[in-house]
Amino acid sequence: MARVRLENVTKRYGEETAVEDVSLEVEDGEFVTFVGPSGCGKSTTMETVAGLTQPTEGRIYIGDDDVTDLAPKDRGVAMVFQNIALFPHMDVYENISFGLRLRKYDDEEVRRRVEEAADIVQLEGMLDRMPSEMSGGQQQRVGIARAIVRNPDVFLMDEPLANLDAKLRVHMRTELQRLHRELDATVIYVTHDQAEAMTMSNRIAVLNDGRLQQIAAPLTCYNEPTNLFVAGFIGSPSMNFVEGTLVEDGLETNNFTVDLDPSQLSEVGVGDAVTLGVRPEDVHLTRYADSLTDSTARIGARTDVLEPMGDEVFVYLLLSEAAAGSMEQDPATSPNQLLMSVTPDTEIEAGEDVDVVLDRSKIHLFETASGDALRHGLTDRSGREPGTTPTEADS
Amino acid sequence: MTDPRDTTDPTDRPNTAEPSATSGIDESGADPPRDPTRRRPDGGEPARGSDGDTSLLKEGRDAELDRGPFQQWVADSIENPDRVYRAMFYVAAVFFLVTTLFPFYWLLMVALTPEGQLENIVFTPNGFNPGAFVEVFQVIPFHVYMFNSFVIALASTIVVLVVASLAGYAFGRLEFPGRTPLMLLVLVISFFPPAAFFIPLNDLFNTSFVFLEPITGDGTLYNTPFALVTPLSAIFMPLAIFILTTFYGQIPDGLEDAARVEGTTRLGALFRVIIPLSAPGVATAGVLTFIAVYNEFFFSFLMTDGQPENWAPILDGILAYQGQYQVLYHLMAAASILGVIPVAILVVIAQEKIVSGLTAGALKE
Repeated sequence: MARVRLENVTKRYGEETAVEDVSLEVEDGEFVTFVGPSGCGKSTTMETVAGLTQPTEGRIYIGDDDVTDLAPKDRGVAMVFQNIALFPHMDVYENISFGLRLRKYDDEEVRRRVEEAADIVQLEGMLDRMPSEMSGGQQQRVGIARAIVRNPDVFLMDEPLANLDAKLRVHMRTELQRLHRELDATVIYVTHDQAEAMTMSNRIAVLNDGRLQQIAAPLTCYNEPTNLFVAGFIGSPSMNFVEGTLVEDGLETNNFTVDLDPSQLSEVGVGDAVTLGVRPEDVHLTRYADSLTDSTARIGARTDVLEPMGDEVFVYLLLSEAAAGSMEQDPATSPNQLLMSVTPDTEIEAGEDVDVVLDRSKIHLFETASGDALRHGLTDRSGREPGTTPTEADS
Repeated sequence: MTDPRDTTDPTDRPNTAEPSATSGIDESGADPPRDPTRRRPDGGEPARGSDGDTSLLKEGRDAELDRGPFQQWVADSIENPDRVYRAMFYVAAVFFLVTTLFPFYWLLMVALTPEGQLENIVFTPNGFNPGAFVEVFQVIPFHVYMFNSFVIALASTIVVLVVASLAGYAFGRLEFPGRTPLMLLVLVISFFPPAAFFIPLNDLFNTSFVFLEPITGDGTLYNTPFALVTPLSAIFMPLAIFILTTFYGQIPDGLEDAARVEGTTRLGALFRVIIPLSAPGVATAGVLTFIAVYNEFFFSFLMTDGQPENWAPILDGILAYQGQYQVLYHLMAAASILGVIPVAILVVIAQEKIVSGLTAGALKE
């Protein structure tokens, strides 16, 4: 097991920059997930760690060794692939033992270790099958066994669950977590599925456009996103964003105003564009909002569409008449809509006029131009003046 | 598993062709026919004539009476085109079978005919002399010629497969500047007439090189297998490169990546993963090269002096039955048949391999 360190890794394909100046460190035994939308460079970043792609600039260290110029086979990494990539012309035993046989281990040692690995991923008795005779989940378990059998320093997993069906994916997610605990291994995991990222990782690294946006514990990314991208990407359904302008005593948006003292926001001043972010679960119906210690003024809205999910109900709120019929816009970013989640026993109907409030302690402010976070939470327990006890934004 | 014959053999599709043909005839007996010619075979005509109520029908009857058997057949064919397609298939199949197999049949007849009775062989031999197949080995050491040919073809195949595999890997799996122009260059070179290379090559192979002396004795490549393997490998290389490029290009990148992470080099991944998975392509390229080299005439004839101990191939062996005063045609025929056998066996075996290889490689992605 070993630490992995990326220093200013950049990868360009001709004019295209796939990865730009990514620096991060994965601790020994840590489970770090690279997450981001398609084409954000997360797979390329992992390939530079594996050695399958040579970075244009920057260095990569595994343990204390600079491995930037080493071939993949000499880096002590093992990889699990999205397309599973079992060798179709070899049976399960040959697939798992492929790396060991290349390293000229003696047959007895190979057999012992293959059986041990097969035990861990629960493939006993399937060693003589061909990959084509197995289900997707079994195939991916062979892929994992092939990775663990060599006892590598670092596991690289490139969307290993992406080709599995939804139920199996959840099952394999817990298996991978168990495996991580059992092996106490350093794992770098790539996914575009934020549920996988949130549930499995010690820390998640959010990438977009080849740049590292934030690397932090899942809940930190959720509660204190460093910028608009992370705020919008982490969390499902995603955060509501309402664009507004700072005025003397608060933030004015198209349909409502939030009290705050602009002087508390050092990076921006009155007249600057600021985006307010609030998660659907932090929007409350006024009549259920008694428990909130600090809420915004009432915001009048009309419910548009209800989406009962069983454990919660998503309510699309129209903040003004202008918003009606503009459903082609994403409600999360439309200035006149809010997405609210309520418990299923809430009495609410489509087309109803309601008043909602926002939980001030869960409001995020972002500079619209740069997207950088300004404040997380406008909590003010000592008085009505907002921002006197600010929660410092996570840098 | 698909049987290739399914699509070509009309007898295998009775469901489509046959019922429509037969049902058409049945209908003409049962229902009032649209085409008056349909009435004639089942004797409906007199009844029809007794109606005689419209001029249109009379006109139809007149036209029908004018038709001979050929026109009748044309009319039926327009009604039922499947019959024509079937007829065309049989004609084409018989034509190709006769043109390809009759020479072999005739060769066998010549081989079986005893010496001195070679006139007027058409469909049967004049006499029966299977001993010719033994005699070919007694008159000259034909087995040595066969061995030479075999070694030359095998060596060329190995050289071609190894080099073309590397080239196919580069062309099929790597992105590099100038890939397409290089590929085109290979294509262009493959169209050069081999004769254009012959004189400089022959001159080169007759030049003595000191460093070759330990290998060839006099330091030249003439009268060694290298004089054949080298040019023939080069000539048949482009085709193999094209075949292998296509096959190697289709192997998913993930498999190569997996092999490299697991501990192979790029070259190791080529030989351990990509080539085994491209077995049908490698077999195809190998068989085509082997047969092409084995059958090659020009270089085979000129790059040795025709002596069996000097690596002369089968070609020289067959021509060796031709003396100054006498041509032993029956032995030439027998030797030709014997020479075909290894290639025929190879094709039969390889065909099975190719088909099985095509169905075995079920890749995910």
